[in-house]
Amino acid sequence: MPAAAKPQSSRKVAARSSRTAAKPKPAAKQVAQAALVVGGGVAGMQASLDLANQGFKVYLVEKSPSIGGRMAMLDKTFPTLDCSACILTPRLSEVARHPNIKLLTYTDLEGVIGKVGNFKVRVIKRARYVKEELCAGCGACAKECPVEVPNEFDQGLGFRKAIYVGFPQSTPSTYTIDMESCIKCKRCERACERKAIDLEMEDERVEFDVGAIIIATGYRLFDVRRYYRLGYGRLPDVINAMEYERLINAAGPTQGHLIRLSDGKTPQSIGFVQCVGARDVNKGVPYCSRVCCMYGIKNAVMAKEHNPSTDVTIYYADIRAFGKGFEEFYEMARTRFGVKFLRGRAAEIIEDVRTGKLHLRAEDTETAQPQEFEHDMVVICPGIQPPDDLDKIAEKLGVAMSNDGYVDVVHRYFGPVDTKMPGIFVCGCADGPKDIPDSVTAGSAAAMKASIILAKGGAA
Amino acid sequence: MMTEKAEPRIGVFVCHCGHNIAGVVDVAKVVESAKSLPHVVLSTDHMFMCSDAGQQLIKDRIKEQKLNRVVVASCSPRMHEPTFRRVVEDAGLNRYLFDQVNIREHVSWCHMRQPKEATDKAIDLVRMSVARAAELESLPIKSVSVTPRTLVVGGGIAGLRASLDIADRGFEAVLVERMPELGGHVRKWTHLFPADESGEQIIAPLVRQAEHHKLVRVMKDSEVVEFGGYIGNFTAKIKNHKTGMVKEVDVGTVIVATGFEPFRPFGYYEYGQHPDIITLAELQEMTPRADLIRPSDGKKVKKLAFIGCVGSREAGKLGHEHCSRHCCSAVAKAAADLRDRVDEVVIMYQDIRTYGRGHEELHRLARSKLVIYSKFPKEKKPVVQIANGRIRITWYDVLSGDNLEYEPDLLVLASAMIPPADVAETSKMFSLTRSADGFFNPEHIKLAPLTTHTAGVMIAGAAQAAKNASESVVDASGAAAKAVGLMARGNVEIESTVSHVIPELCSSCHTCVTACPYGAIAMDTKKSPPVALVTEAKCKGCGTCAASCPSSAIIMYHSTDEQILTMVEAYLCPSTQTTGGVA
Ligand SMILES: Cc1cc2nc3c(=O)[nH]c(=O)nc-3n(C[C@H](O)[C@H](O)[C@H](O)COP(=O)(O)OP(=O)(O)OC[C@H]3O[C@@H](n4cnc5c(N)ncnc54)[C@H](O)[C@@H]3O)c2cc1C
Repeated sequence: MPAAAKPQSSRKVAARSSRTAAKPKPAAKQVAQAALVVGGGVAGMQASLDLANQGFKVYLVEKSPSIGGRMAMLDKTFPTLDCSACILTPRLSEVARHPNIKLLTYTDLEGVIGKVGNFKVRVIKRARYVKEELCAGCGACAKECPVEVPNEFDQGLGFRKAIYVGFPQSTPSTYTIDMESCIKCKRCERACERKAIDLEMEDERVEFDVGAIIIATGYRLFDVRRYYRLGYGRLPDVINAMEYERLINAAGPTQGHLIRLSDGKTPQSIGFVQCVGARDVNKGVPYCSRVCCMYGIKNAVMAKEHNPSTDVTIYYADIRAFGKGFEEFYEMARTRFGVKFLRGRAAEIIEDVRTGKLHLRAEDTETAQPQEFEHDMVVICPGIQPPDDLDKIAEKLGVAMSNDGYVDVVHRYFGPVDTKMPGIFVCGCADGPKDIPDSVTAGSAAAMKASIILAKGGAA
Repeated sequence: MMTEKAEPRIGVFVCHCGHNIAGVVDVAKVVESAKSLPHVVLSTDHMFMCSDAGQQLIKDRIKEQKLNRVVVASCSPRMHEPTFRRVVEDAGLNRYLFDQVNIREHVSWCHMRQPKEATDKAIDLVRMSVARAAELESLPIKSVSVTPRTLVVGGGIAGLRASLDIADRGFEAVLVERMPELGGHVRKWTHLFPADESGEQIIAPLVRQAEHHKLVRVMKDSEVVEFGGYIGNFTAKIKNHKTGMVKEVDVGTVIVATGFEPFRPFGYYEYGQHPDIITLAELQEMTPRADLIRPSDGKKVKKLAFIGCVGSREAGKLGHEHCSRHCCSAVAKAAADLRDRVDEVVIMYQDIRTYGRGHEELHRLARSKLVIYSKFPKEKKPVVQIANGRIRITWYDVLSGDNLEYEPDLLVLASAMIPPADVAETSKMFSLTRSADGFFNPEHIKLAPLTTHTAGVMIAGAAQAAKNASESVVDASGAAAKAVGLMARGNVEIESTVSHVIPELCSSCHTCVTACPYGAIAMDTKKSPPVALVTEAKCKGCGTCAASCPSSAIIMYHSTDEQILTMVEAYLCPSTQTTGGVA
């Protein structure tokens, strides 16, 4: 394990150490009775809850202003189409109110030293310029803020203020000032009745000891611009699946109206393109991304739900509907919703400038005919990749990575959630693409393994 | 149980749910109409009541306005009733003094195109809820202790892993296996994908550890024959087939890891009609040797064929609609391995589902070894015929558009994973429900895949759905975490929305005892004459008993006759209700 790096921030850093909370019986060997979970997506939240419910203290470190991860952005979820926010929100509050979980959002992992049973962790809580203890999330500040910038949470399709929460159920509900956009007009300061705004706030270093660590840093989307011929980034009506999730979301930038970005019209015909940035050796993503077939089908069904007369086609290589209830869902999409499936990878998308229609070229491999299809909108379904900074996190923790950039596990049977560094575990998409049920299951499993270490020397 | 009744002071909180409700229902109108209802002190709205800010609003208003009843008009209580109950509790109210009105699933979502009528309906529902709220009573918060021991049913790879994790964590596990040996299906498999080890190599260390762990009690040749109790306090009777002895164990939690059965596809592709037509499971059980040998005559196999999706993905055929998940990758692995020992391998498939880590690589490896993949259409499966002892397959290859024909020496059918034959009994024994695939239903398919609707009973591995062995291992550790969570806390809260028999009114007729679907009511023989008695931890509050009781001797706490009738009255007679209002 590398020695902890020098603090990057030159600002004043207040050290705060915390010893751990109530625990099952004194351990024979001295083991810190707390765990660190890095990443507050659905996997990291599950791991935190399963540890906290055993009585262990958990530090949940999340780099963005809110926990929830990608699931918070989704509209509906396959295979049952429940609304993602509706099932996730109770989880968010469960995590936030759990007496054994210390939420550290807008926080970066700085360094870790030590070994299994005794890790010393340092994190930097970035200044959000709003005091967490005072802010009630009322939003009076944002009403006053004159600066509007694209909202990352909405994939840049909607706007937020310079003082913002990404989404209404943001947990904690504390607002954050994005200093890069802030013009220091101080209107928010005047608007805040609770005096929660502190424009002088500085980054804060927090240190604590833990016995075990769980990595749950999730994934990023493949940048589909790398398939130049598909037109993403050049043609406004070619969007990616995450943008589509926000577009059809009732709490999203269009209040759930599915419209074309070019002219605001309702698309009458939509194409979904699968396997973009997945199963492609040439682009360095040889593996299957595991979730795209199903979210593609889900989104196709949602297009039909929004407007039953829409013509919807999915361009695919293989339909991988392998999980519980998935095949049944695929069947329903075909038969009940009338989603069309065409086996063939899209080769090129061009715009007809006169009609504004998109022409998608693909070979229908079932007839071996190259064909051209007309659509009003095309949704590219990107594969998923390890998050950008996973290699840095891995280096700080001293865990091994596999050559596709994910965290490596010890053994598929003997240690499917164990990294090669004892005491450090991994779950969710951090060790490879997974859907929500599989991420949640892995979160529980990682918590189990971590709890064995924390409990060493005696049970509860 | 009842407290003296203070004058009700009701707060009504109407949620927009972003655009979900407010896009259809005129929220301002609903808020306004509630203001004039009896006992309503305050009526207000918020973008998302469930958000922290919304929750804070409720808490603040309870304190400021001294509310003693809260009505939230929002979504289905299924998800957020616990959230709001906790909110009112945080503000010092008993959680049962809260009522939730569903104006989303029951109003805005189902009447999307009739905003006016939807608003009227929301107003009616809120009025009914307010009437009910005035009748609500505080109920006690109860908990039961959890016996620190887990019963693990099934000694396959999932059951073994779960037992070991629980034991390593310091709790006792009782591992019950029906067969004389632990290890389940995995033990029999000579090659296991995507690992290079054999099943025996994977299983043997787990079995050894389980058999030697001082906290694991292994009971082989044994089966659970009787199971009863409730979360934290179950009792199982376990019978040993060999000795006939029955032991009773008390456990706090249960993990059902009873696995699957490989489907034996009689009636498909001449299976059973020729010794050289076998299933993938049977192939995986064949002892490895230098050559692949034909079962019929011991001759070396030169041409090998696989057919995928045998008994899987059959729309409309109950129990066979699901994808069996493991087979595509297992076939790719087997084909890539065996390609070195035979001259030709052909795989007939519908879709290639090599989804997992390393699986796509197996698929690619098979292709690079010139294994032939041929896609057949969903509607037109290959046809297998036997003529003069030869196996002959004809099918339509989708990608070339040709009708093809092949005579393999050995035909392997990748048959489905289906639940074990006695799954119905297991499901009855542990009160588990099953989904259409025949496997057990989790509590929530996405966020609670390992727990079930029977509190305290978890599921793991292929008992939950078709999956491979490495996925089952992850499940097992996850399910163990759930069991340990309950045991480490030592006790759990149970609902107070249960039924209660008033002994003086009970006529000892037994009607409720037979009516109860959960076996929660028994006759209390200590009383004379014996009267019905409810075990509260088992009661789910369904009300079947109360409805069936001819003597009206049963009260449903939180759904009393008065509480329900007052809603009916409020619906039918709105005018009498519009007088009053304390605000
Ligand atoms: C378009 C689309 C649609 C989908 N639809 C569905 C669906 O319908 N059903 C389904 O089951 N699955 C769906 N999925 C998959 C689903 O999003 C994932 O299964 C799930 O989000 C994985 O959870 P996670 O916790 O592993 O990762 P994430 O949700 O990515 O969470 C990771 C968290 O870690 C944080 N983090 C990352 N790095 C660090 C760091 N260095 N320090 C601190 N914190 C860090 C991130 O900010 C994030 O909050 C979909 C995916 C996509 C792309």
